[in-house]
Amino acid sequence: MKQLFSNPLALTGFVLISLMLVLALLAPWLAPYDPDAIQVKDILLSPSANHWMGTDGLGRDVWSRMLFGGRISLLVGLVAVGISTAIGIILGAIAGYYRGWVDTVIMRLVDIMLSIPSFFLILAVIAFLSPSITNVMIVIGLTSWMGVTRLVRAEFLSLTQREFVLASAALGARDWRIIFKHCLPNSLTPVLVSVVLGIASAVLLESGLSFLGLGVQAPQASWGNILTDGKEYIQFAWWLSLFPGLAILITVLGYNLLGEGLRELFDPRSTNSR
Amino acid sequence: MPLSSACWSHLADGVRCLSARTPNTWMLLLYLLVTACSQPPETASPALHQTYPPQPGGTMISAMPSDPSSLISMVAGESASSAISAHIFNALLQYDQNLDLTGELAERWEVSADKKTISFHLKPGLKWADGHALTSADVLFTWQLVTNETTHSPYASDYQLVTQAEAPDAHTFIVHYAQAFSPALNSWAGLQILPKHLLQGQDVHTTAFAQKPVGSHYYQLKEWRHGEYLKLVKNPHAALGEPNIDWLIERIIPDPAAQFLELMADNIDSMNMDPITYARIIPSRPALQARLNQYKELGNSYTYLGFNLKHKPFDDMRVRKAINLAIDKQEIIDGVYLGLGVPIASPYKPGTRWSNPALTPYPYDPQQAKALLAEAGYRDTDGDGYVDRNGQKLSFEVLTNHGNKEREKTVVIIQRRLKEVGIDIRVRSIEWASLITRFIKTGDFDAVVMGWGLGLDPDQYNIWHSSQQKPGQFNFIGYHNAEVDRLLEQGRVEFDQEKRMHLYHALAEKLYNDSPIVYLSAGYGLTAIHKRIQGIMQPVPPAGVGYDSQKWYIPSPLRRTEMQAN
Repeated sequence: MKQLFSNPLALTGFVLISLMLVLALLAPWLAPYDPDAIQVKDILLSPSANHWMGTDGLGRDVWSRMLFGGRISLLVGLVAVGISTAIGIILGAIAGYYRGWVDTVIMRLVDIMLSIPSFFLILAVIAFLSPSITNVMIVIGLTSWMGVTRLVRAEFLSLTQREFVLASAALGARDWRIIFKHCLPNSLTPVLVSVVLGIASAVLLESGLSFLGLGVQAPQASWGNILTDGKEYIQFAWWLSLFPGLAILITVLGYNLLGEGLRELFDPRSTNSR
Repeated sequence: MPLSSACWSHLADGVRCLSARTPNTWMLLLYLLVTACSQPPETASPALHQTYPPQPGGTMISAMPSDPSSLISMVAGESASSAISAHIFNALLQYDQNLDLTGELAERWEVSADKKTISFHLKPGLKWADGHALTSADVLFTWQLVTNETTHSPYASDYQLVTQAEAPDAHTFIVHYAQAFSPALNSWAGLQILPKHLLQGQDVHTTAFAQKPVGSHYYQLKEWRHGEYLKLVKNPHAALGEPNIDWLIERIIPDPAAQFLELMADNIDSMNMDPITYARIIPSRPALQARLNQYKELGNSYTYLGFNLKHKPFDDMRVRKAINLAIDKQEIIDGVYLGLGVPIASPYKPGTRWSNPALTPYPYDPQQAKALLAEAGYRDTDGDGYVDRNGQKLSFEVLTNHGNKEREKTVVIIQRRLKEVGIDIRVRSIEWASLITRFIKTGDFDAVVMGWGLGLDPDQYNIWHSSQQKPGQFNFIGYHNAEVDRLLEQGRVEFDQEKRMHLYHALAEKLYNDSPIVYLSAGYGLTAIHKRIQGIMQPVPPAGVGYDSQKWYIPSPLRRTEMQAN
């Protein structure tokens, strides 16, 4: 932790993300209005003391919607990456530990998945299912596990040759014990970096999908669909595009900085750590 | 290290999306700052506000979103085609400024006592633009063409009801129907008469005439650059006399935003627009607004919430009425249409003779809505905020077409208001084609927010008659009321406009009491026309701002120079 704070990149990222998470968690207490309350006499008000970020095309308070939308956007990022990481670790561990035809099958599957432009795969799947926040999380999770699989497999390939693993195998330890007790904990460092960066791309993906109308559905707010609503009014209601855009920017920047910082921290080749 | 290389492409997608957006925002901010510091000088010359006497000459430039495929509109069946061909061809009848039928090529017409025969008498001395005489043989030829199977005209069905048509002399055209059919006259106001001497023996789908038409109306086509513009010049032989403006140029500009930029740059004189452009963007640009006349006119169309009457609980009239009372229509009009709409109580345009003035729109009354729901057995027994009956909460799905911003916003407002009386609705917006084929035609829906665009004839047999419920037909909500069926059947055979009016007023009242749909709003058609175009009828007549456009004129001090006009 101390090392983390001594790295300016990681520290900045950590602060930005913490800020966003705190705002999202405290949304019900911080939001001055009901995020879904429609007030047609107040439509498209510019930012003021009453409405810090103005109001949208239906007179809803944008600041309140940003706070609640942030919950959705951040939740989607965390859950989707949780799913992809779980799949990635399991498949990577199996491939790296057992090798042989199992490894071949899993790695070819990874190659196939990587060869499909995944944004369009997600678009197609969501269009086929009905768009909802659950589906978005699951689909993003199911289409972005390949990187973690490769990382974990690579770690396992080298770990299974190490003396302590060979020793425990020689002592008759079962496969699952070697995988979970010995190899996995030692392979998680690079995974942590990729998880942090993965959240950033999942947040962006969710925003993109919601922007296209295929993500979180009305009246629930997410940064992506606040942006979409703003598109219609961009000629004169700049606040509807600026604030969600900035929120996405800050969050993604935060995760990327934290990820880069962690990588520098853990990478034995980098000079300014350890 | 990235999660995977594929994820970088997501990131890149997203970043592109962001960076494409952020500069816009910044440029906009910059623009706002600049304009806040220095208001642009007033560019509209004061002469624009002066009224000049009518004078012939000049060029009017308009914009339209798409290129016509053919100028024979009975074949093209699209609005782009009829927008142009309406300047070139005449019909037998037309609507006057109050939307009553009057003669166009026909001087007068008679309906026989049994209502099965209509005789039209053409005006004397009619000519085509090439100087040939226009006679009843041309009308007969046009009828034969539109009803010919090989023409495949989407408008054929009304004319196929004619069992026999004849042209006993050059000025008389007679049609016989097997049964009296009162929308018949309306149909003869819609059929553009084509020249027999140029089209006989030609394939109407491939003929060069479709690209180089010869008509009898105010204008003739001079030049057509596909995808760019159509140039029309006034017709010296025009059947109804000469128009004031010499040239009409219709520019093809598909993107509304690009049309608006051209309007700002004074490269076009008129365009149609959405409520936001009309009510917010133009007023925020005083220099632009100063040189435009803005028109809003009620269209012959409305938006509604329709129930699938074959599904529970919509078979219960009390539930339908409760939903009607729980929706604040004025809120939808103010919030979605920026006030540019009116609440309605009948399926006819307010202010026309067909709209029943005795009916007032359902008020917004959530208390009465709750009382009606309770009467129908729906109460919140488990305290979850939603009403239920027999342990089932009142919940349904509302569909609308994706991409229609107005309807998507409307549904959100409805969702909010119904929640307040304890009804849970789920919203789904679906792409148009699959909404129709997958849900509407199969009857697999609870409720929809859609719209009806209507013709000028009050006949709504297709929409409300119980026989019109087959897949693909218009009564897809499954409405069945024997009394309504009877009124619709009577309306189709009644020629007396006064008696028809009473029939359709009675129809509207039945619908009002049954509440098979919730009328949400009738929207305005919004147009801006440059002030150099003068002579536009004020106030705008029921027939619309475009009525009598042959009397419009452009005073010479206000005309564009030759360089600009061409």
